[in-house]
Amino acid sequence: MKRVQLEIVLGTIFVLLSAAIVIILGIREPQRLADYVLQQRGRQIEFGAAVFQNNCTECHGSQGQGITGIAPSLRDEHFFTERLDEIGWGSTLEDYIVSVVTTGRQVSTRPQYVGGGTPAMPTWSERFGGPLRDDQIRAVAAFIMNFEQYALGQLPTPVPIGPVVDESTPEGRGQALFTQAGCVACHTIQGISTATVGPALDGLANRAGSIVSGMSAEEYIHESIVDPNAHIVSGYSPDVMPQNFAEILTEDQINDLVAFLMVRTQ
Amino acid sequence: MTFINNILKRLNYTQLPQRGEWKAFIFKLIDERVRIITAGLNLRELRAIMRGDPPTEKPNPRYKVITTSFVAHLRPRYYPQAATWFTHTFRLGFFVTFFFVVEVITGIVLMAYYVPYPDQAYGSVLAIESNVFFGELMRDIHRLGAEAMVAFSWLHLLRTYFTGSYKGPRSFTWLTGVILLAITAWLSFTGYLLPWDQLSYWAVTVGTSITESGPIVGPTLNLVMRGAPDIGAGGLLRFYLQHVILFPLLAILFISIHYYKVSREHSISLPAVVEELELPPDKKKEYNRRIDLIPDLLSHEIFLIALGTFVMLAILYFRLFHSPLETHANPQNTPLDTKAPWYFWWLQGILKIDPANILENLLNPILQPLLGLFGIEFTLELSKLLDSKFIMGLIVPPVLVVILAFLPYIDKNPSRLSSKRPFAIAWGISWIFIMLALSYMGLPEYGIETPAATRVIQDLAPEEGEGPLREIPYAELEHAHGVYTVGEDYGRDLCPGLAYQPDHDKPDEVVIGCPHLTAVFNQFSERLRVAEEDGRLPDLVARIVVEQFQPGMVRVTPQVEWSDPETGEAKAYEHTYFLHENRVLGSH
Repeated sequence: MKRVQLEIVLGTIFVLLSAAIVIILGIREPQRLADYVLQQRGRQIEFGAAVFQNNCTECHGSQGQGITGIAPSLRDEHFFTERLDEIGWGSTLEDYIVSVVTTGRQVSTRPQYVGGGTPAMPTWSERFGGPLRDDQIRAVAAFIMNFEQYALGQLPTPVPIGPVVDESTPEGRGQALFTQAGCVACHTIQGISTATVGPALDGLANRAGSIVSGMSAEEYIHESIVDPNAHIVSGYSPDVMPQNFAEILTEDQINDLVAFLMVRTQ
Repeated sequence: MTFINNILKRLNYTQLPQRGEWKAFIFKLIDERVRIITAGLNLRELRAIMRGDPPTEKPNPRYKVITTSFVAHLRPRYYPQAATWFTHTFRLGFFVTFFFVVEVITGIVLMAYYVPYPDQAYGSVLAIESNVFFGELMRDIHRLGAEAMVAFSWLHLLRTYFTGSYKGPRSFTWLTGVILLAITAWLSFTGYLLPWDQLSYWAVTVGTSITESGPIVGPTLNLVMRGAPDIGAGGLLRFYLQHVILFPLLAILFISIHYYKVSREHSISLPAVVEELELPPDKKKEYNRRIDLIPDLLSHEIFLIALGTFVMLAILYFRLFHSPLETHANPQNTPLDTKAPWYFWWLQGILKIDPANILENLLNPILQPLLGLFGIEFTLELSKLLDSKFIMGLIVPPVLVVILAFLPYIDKNPSRLSSKRPFAIAWGISWIFIMLALSYMGLPEYGIETPAATRVIQDLAPEEGEGPLREIPYAELEHAHGVYTVGEDYGRDLCPGLAYQPDHDKPDEVVIGCPHLTAVFNQFSERLRVAEEDGRLPDLVARIVVEQFQPGMVRVTPQVEWSDPETGEAKAYEHTYFLHENRVLGSH
């Protein structure tokens, strides 16, 4: 066979094979597009979870469960079934979330959640001076929407493992509580939280004993949790810290928290 | 009938034929039209071409096409037989042109969907992949074609260098070729920014920051390129316009000049053995035999196009290549490993060389004892004088390009035979190795120290892309909740009680335990244990936490705690990964 004839044969085969590939890909294309949309949604939820973890957990809790006195739960039944009617919102819940996150809330619709006149929720969109891009806000909304099956009880809510602490000791339980009870929303503890609404608590154990004469460090910390207004550190305002921790937490839990704060001496 | 004949006469047509002459009449009409359209070939000639017969008339009407047709006049009439040897050219230049055409076609399709604005660019690329029929295919072809075009340009350059084809009258062709290589690289680089993901944003930020170190005009040049101190809406638009208008036009101009020199002026170079050696006359005659454009070269080119198309499609069909799309560009978050496209690794490698440091290390051990004899204490410090980013980024690469461009005027050796230019051949081979070594140095693994715990976790699950941790099937993680502590003995598998079906469509297939998670955990433990043993992570405590976080989504958290080897301070590093069950659906 001459070279030109070989090339004609091979070339024809290549053209036919190329056409076959294009046809096969074309047949698969609608399925691929549908899969891609689902996959993109999955990745959007993952991305939203990371954005949520970095920006929202200090007020809305590490799992979006809300923190008493600070911010509401984003995964309860009320939020998924009644919130839109309550607020009179005409569009979808996801759009509602996007809207609220974008512009923030200047006035709270549920005053039980804000402390001492601070703005209800800051604006998050870059367009209004916040830190997040629109696609990040969309992703956060997608992430919150993904709680629906837990919120409506269609799936059992798993117990989160949370930060790994030694729960056999009072300090360990106290550390877990420090996050779960929402202390992280306002107080800084190195390695756990970075908030500055209330005083930083690292090293409190060293100075607590000398603030009020006749009161040991443990007693002082205990009182500050159950009755926050008893002693206000200069530079901070009264009535900012929720007054009801004695009701929310058991005596044992408060003692665990005290034990945890007592070991943070650095 | 007379009426029609009158009209035809006015239109310069002859009279309608008589009964029985119609067939010849129509043939003649068609034949004339065909001859005009093909710019010189009539039906008989076309038939002869298709059959592989010799030309039907003299002078050869096939050459007439080349003188009369605009498109064909760009082509040569023939090449000498020896110039068409496959092992002489490897068709590299042809394939560069082929890829350029592929880029233009797919690029126009992509332009219909792409939005060159930071808020929307990334979303529009996602939409191309998720919402445009064959959108992903178009993007993949465009990316594959771009990388192939750069690769084939380099290979074409090497071929021309080693066959000595840049010499003599072809030196100007070589110069335009070097310009084309630069245009190709720049086209590729400007396209790199457009998806507006982390990969593109940081590659281009690092790339353009080189210009900033230039004297006097440096900061201004940087500002002109970026459109603002940082790359934003202005910078993206500027890169886009360069990518879709300015440099494609320049490429077309220089490809035309480059090709015209080859096709019309000097032809493809003959192999040096044919040109310079004494050959027997019959061989010489055979080597110089004309291979005509029509039909031989053309049919060969059509074959190459079919081959190229098929290979590209096959590569994409078997998923040997996929154009990456990382997360949205984030100016606040510099990725741990910034990586330029592979054809710029050598540049990244050059930037890691600090000439001031090298000179200091070389000269100080000599100078210090020497001056010490005279009682002078002196340490040479050049780092203030020699800014390494400026020298290695702005001086060295342009000098290299200029040397490359003017190679034919530097290399005065008239012979093209490799045996008569051993120095040039050795030089060329060394350059290949130097470029490979520089490229290796350009990799993020080279010369950049990352803290041990960060490195281990980053290698398990890089910030971008997948990595072993993200490749654990969701079906496995879904049932493998727990805290897995490094150092504890879990036996052969972390979850001995687990059995799952990796694919719902294949009910017979069952995986026992969690082999993927176990492998990741073992790698995690092993790497950390090595770091603990060599003293980088004393008092190591490490674990991987797997927990259900949402319906269809788990959270995996590798955590490492250790004491600082120097200060003894307690340190901790952890990273959370959210993995959704649909994350690997479809093509990724």
